[in-house]
Amino acid sequence: MTRTIIIAGAGGVGKTTLSAALGAAIALGGKRTLVLTIDPAKRLADALGVSELTDTPTEIPTQTYGPHGMWAAMLDASASWEAIIHRYADPEVGARLLANPYFRAIADRFPAAQSYAAGERMAEYIESKQFDVVVVDTPPSGGGIDFFRAPAMANDLISGKLLKWLTGANLPGRGFIYRFTAKPILRIADAVLGGPMLSEVTDFLLDIRTMYDTISVRSRTIEGYLKEATTLVATTADPTPIHETRRFFSELDGIDIDPAAIIFNRKLPESWISQANKPIRGVQDPALRAKAKANLRAWAAEARRQADAADEMSARFHVPLYSVAWTTPAPQSMEELATLITDSGIVADLGL
Amino acid sequence: MLIFVSGKGGTGKSAVAAATAIDFARRGHRVLAIDMASATGLAAHLRVPGLDYEPQEVRPGLFALKMTRSQALDEYLKVQLHVPKSLPTHQITAALSVLADTAPGVREIISIGKPIAESRSGDWEVVVVDSPSLGQFQSYLGAPQAIADLVPTGNMLRLASRMRDILLDEELTRIHLVTAPTELPILETQETIATIARERLAPVPKVIFNRVLEPSGMSRSDLKHLGDGPLREAATLQLDLELEQDAWSKKLAHVIELPYLFGVLTPGEVAEQLADDIGGRV
Repeated sequence: MTRTIIIAGAGGVGKTTLSAALGAAIALGGKRTLVLTIDPAKRLADALGVSELTDTPTEIPTQTYGPHGMWAAMLDASASWEAIIHRYADPEVGARLLANPYFRAIADRFPAAQSYAAGERMAEYIESKQFDVVVVDTPPSGGGIDFFRAPAMANDLISGKLLKWLTGANLPGRGFIYRFTAKPILRIADAVLGGPMLSEVTDFLLDIRTMYDTISVRSRTIEGYLKEATTLVATTADPTPIHETRRFFSELDGIDIDPAAIIFNRKLPESWISQANKPIRGVQDPALRAKAKANLRAWAAEARRQADAADEMSARFHVPLYSVAWTTPAPQSMEELATLITDSGIVADLGL
Repeated sequence: MLIFVSGKGGTGKSAVAAATAIDFARRGHRVLAIDMASATGLAAHLRVPGLDYEPQEVRPGLFALKMTRSQALDEYLKVQLHVPKSLPTHQITAALSVLADTAPGVREIISIGKPIAESRSGDWEVVVVDSPSLGQFQSYLGAPQAIADLVPTGNMLRLASRMRDILLDEELTRIHLVTAPTELPILETQETIATIARERLAPVPKVIFNRVLEPSGMSRSDLKHLGDGPLREAATLQLDLELEQDAWSKKLAHVIELPYLFGVLTPGEVAEQLADDIGGRV
């Protein structure tokens, strides 16, 4: 069975890099591993050895990553939605949907649509049985929380909650649209807002509605995979990520998902804290001694702030916390990335 | 004046937005700060437990509010779109609420309508908006155009084109992008500036560098004199970061550099400290 690891976390904490690093570390341990990234920076794509990732898994072109290799793929939300339409919609409806401006706009811009597409891709890779482990980097919207909610949201969209309101009826057929436009309230609304917006949205929803049965089964399957997956929350000691981490834990709890661990990125060594107040021996030049000491004190204060934040988080959330060291310059190769994450101990503890 | 403060996640944009508002208030202006990015902590930076949709005075001359979608929607319809009282407003509200979940630009136009309306209300000299991070911010700025593409006629279109005129007016609107002088934030900020210029969404953004390290005065050749422990490790980290910072800060013109604040400070202390550093310079 394929093991799935999902990395959630606020923007700017290094989520994509951590996903790739974790994937490399697991691959080195001999598992056939796929990393599904969302929007890798150029440096990461370079480190992975593929300048152009697509949503077809690409094998990382090197022998370094264990006996079974490492693959990477990047989400293309528009392409994924087209694939979903081709797979689940009646051909005539599918053609109309693909030509509908709302469909294009929603696939490209509706945050939950990107998240749903990511979930769908994840499910395909799990079901392909080609991989022992799939590591999923989450889309940035809602700091990754939308990824977990997207199946339910997609279900709401097509189950007709909105339609029911717009049309005042259940299970409308195509002919219903004409009665809809005759509905006085919505005619007034369209007149006030200034266009046939509600009518067009209704048209779109009616088409999407025909995919209800398949998408509804599918979104429950994806939800099942999400619940079985190992969810890790990435953070740093900065105030926004800490705030977001709190929000994740409470919101994930609301949808019955328990994160397995926190990955604390860019951690400074705690040994600096105690050393900062000790007298310095062995530095001859007094000017250099003063500068180096002032510098250590400043960074030790940062290390202290990080240590406090880490203690507070592990006490609050009752999960293990793995620290990934702040290294400079930024890791340039997958080997360096893999070492970082292996040193944190998380790969071994997760049984990977 | 309407100032939108945005930036890549993790660069300290809420702190800089709060500091900008504090700085204007300290210099005697009547200021409104708006929290438009629900996940971040403008309230904490202003030393209040929370904010509401009604402006509250958080220090002399400085008021703050937090956007909530349902109240913004209500205000958009009644105050901005002038939906006549004779019409069934609650049903039109519900219709627009459905649209906000599906049609592109609707949610964004409702949200960005609030700061624009406040800046034109005559109640404030300066409105500072703690905006969402870069990607989402661009779709807010692009909302008036998205609406124009969607709606051929009517009040919503007229309102959207008025908003677009205000957003594009250099006398009225400023965009401040906060970044750290490191690779990913700089690259993403460059892309955002290019998009804003290409799509003519707003005046050319001004860039604020935050978390800029002060040079330690040490050099690489000093490292070998520092032994093997934390003293040398911390010096190595500092020098590596200085090198990275020097390389990346050259790649983007900026109006001001705000310092990296070390150690255990509360969000309120951070904002005060940054306001000292801004000192009228933005």
